[in-house]
Amino acid sequence: MGWLLITRFTLQEAIRRRLFLTMAILTLLMLVLFGLLIHAAIDRMQANHVANGTDPTLPTIYAGIAITILAMWLVYLVISTMTIFLTISMISGEIEAGTFVVIVPKPLRRAEIIFGKWLGYALILGLYTLLLSLAFMGIIYWFTGYWPTYAFAAIGMLEISMLVLLGLITLCGAFVPTAANGAIAVMLFMGAFISSIVQFAIPAQDYMVQNITAVISLIMPTDAMWHGASYYLFPAAIGVLQNFSVSSVNTPFTATQPISPQLLTWAILYSLVLPLIAILRFQRRDL
Amino acid sequence: MSEQAHHSTGGIGTISSGQQEHHDLQRGVPAVQVDHLHKAYGSLVAVNDVSFVTQRGEAFGFLGPNGAGKSTVVKILTGLITSTQGNVRVLGHPVSHLETRRKIGYLPELPNFHRWLRAQEFLQFHGQLYGLGGAPLRKRSQELLELVGLTGCERQKLGTFSKGMLQRIGLAQALLNQPELLILDEPTSGLDPLGQRDMRNLILRLKMEGIGIFLNSHQLGDVELICDRVAIIHHGQLLKIGPPATLFDEPLVLEVRVNAVSADLLRRVGAVSLAVQRDEANPLRLLVEVQDDEQAADVAAAVHASGTRLFSLQPRRRTLEQLFLRTIESSQY
Repeated sequence: MGWLLITRFTLQEAIRRRLFLTMAILTLLMLVLFGLLIHAAIDRMQANHVANGTDPTLPTIYAGIAITILAMWLVYLVISTMTIFLTISMISGEIEAGTFVVIVPKPLRRAEIIFGKWLGYALILGLYTLLLSLAFMGIIYWFTGYWPTYAFAAIGMLEISMLVLLGLITLCGAFVPTAANGAIAVMLFMGAFISSIVQFAIPAQDYMVQNITAVISLIMPTDAMWHGASYYLFPAAIGVLQNFSVSSVNTPFTATQPISPQLLTWAILYSLVLPLIAILRFQRRDL
Repeated sequence: MSEQAHHSTGGIGTISSGQQEHHDLQRGVPAVQVDHLHKAYGSLVAVNDVSFVTQRGEAFGFLGPNGAGKSTVVKILTGLITSTQGNVRVLGHPVSHLETRRKIGYLPELPNFHRWLRAQEFLQFHGQLYGLGGAPLRKRSQELLELVGLTGCERQKLGTFSKGMLQRIGLAQALLNQPELLILDEPTSGLDPLGQRDMRNLILRLKMEGIGIFLNSHQLGDVELICDRVAIIHHGQLLKIGPPATLFDEPLVLEVRVNAVSADLLRRVGAVSLAVQRDEANPLRLLVEVQDDEQAADVAAAVHASGTRLFSLQPRRRTLEQLFLRTIESSQY
């Protein structure tokens, strides 16, 4: 059970290096500011409606939907950034620091070291993704009364997005130095986002653009996962709401359709197979 | 190392009597078998057709200058790198054999440990990697901290440790599993003279306890003092292997400092020694080759007989570099 020891060690390292504490304090600060902001905005909007003699209930729900999309996009960016910063030195950093030299000769398989570290970070970031998402949606619900019907499906998409990024970083960590790993992760993550904007700007019947963005989604499915999440953040009975439809909020940041099962399967495989390749590479790597 | 540490466990306590019997039984069985080992990094050949065998319980020195290929061999023995060709067995098994790794302790050359860990946590973690746990591991950690003179530093972070302290805690982690084979990679490098002496004494005690030692070093004194047999490696090739006495079996060179050098002095000293020459760097110093201590005494007597005042007479040990040059020269014939 060497992998369990490495996972525990990774969690212990996160605690001892005040990673959890820093994350908790900054997140709390962000949530408090967000709460104050949404409180002020919703209060003012409702007061205006009351002053004009109109019912503020439906506009408040609409505002809740819009704020949920924006807030969860922020969550997606925060989680992706955290994933890159926290895990970038997971393998290559330890190799460069020479700390593996005293661990690898111990009676445990190299695969256990990589799996243990991957699992440790997956647990930390998975929990963070869940708590941060719930906290934002909870605050929005508190002030607007809006709670996405498929909230947990959306969070699941964000979790897969995080695992996709973690998988890529794990893979690159076994092959290239830390700086190169960081550059690859940032470039691909940004590239996937930019391709969404390009796709939005170009007419839908441009098959070449569609093919390119499809290939980019296969190489880096994080943005596709966000779009999948955004679809589930809209209310299920959206058509019932007056003056509000999915197509009316069609932006580079949102999706009008759920993610295809094929792409979802690809992303899940991606997040699992890449660490496996990293393990295979690390087995033979000279330290 | 504290005096308290030296008396702490009635012997080092690393090997129990049962284990000692096991070790005794295993003596004569190879600890390390290296057969036609070859390691290349692209076109750079780090180790070229190296073969040797070390016995269990033996202290084996691996001697060579920087870049000779010593650390490459050690890294292959510990599974950190793989060989390009050849076969390596440790305690009778391939390096990848996990049960064998349970019986090996390893102190790397550079003590790069996780700086955020406290000394006690460091030993707990590495002990758990060896499959130890609970009260026995806590007791063992405490014993080893005492042994390496770090009692009282249990809660100190490794980031605040000096190089010497890191070497000592590194040695402690290598002893957690009561190893049958201890692989030490330059254990005294970077230590001050006192630290070097302490580390040397500690390794000698481990050797006395019956632990097999594979000592990788470029410190001639360490290897000569500790090891039963020594291998000299240079440019990735094994040049010589044998007991230190045979490797260093060469005329003793004496440095003789006098008040004046006369023809009579040179004649008298030359008559009782193998060779004599004036030191180019100091005209009042002679370099005299003798076979043994008896001849050294004769040289002193010859100086007195010539009426010259003798200020000092001391043996000059050949430097490692000189020894290598000699070994390389002799290997060409």
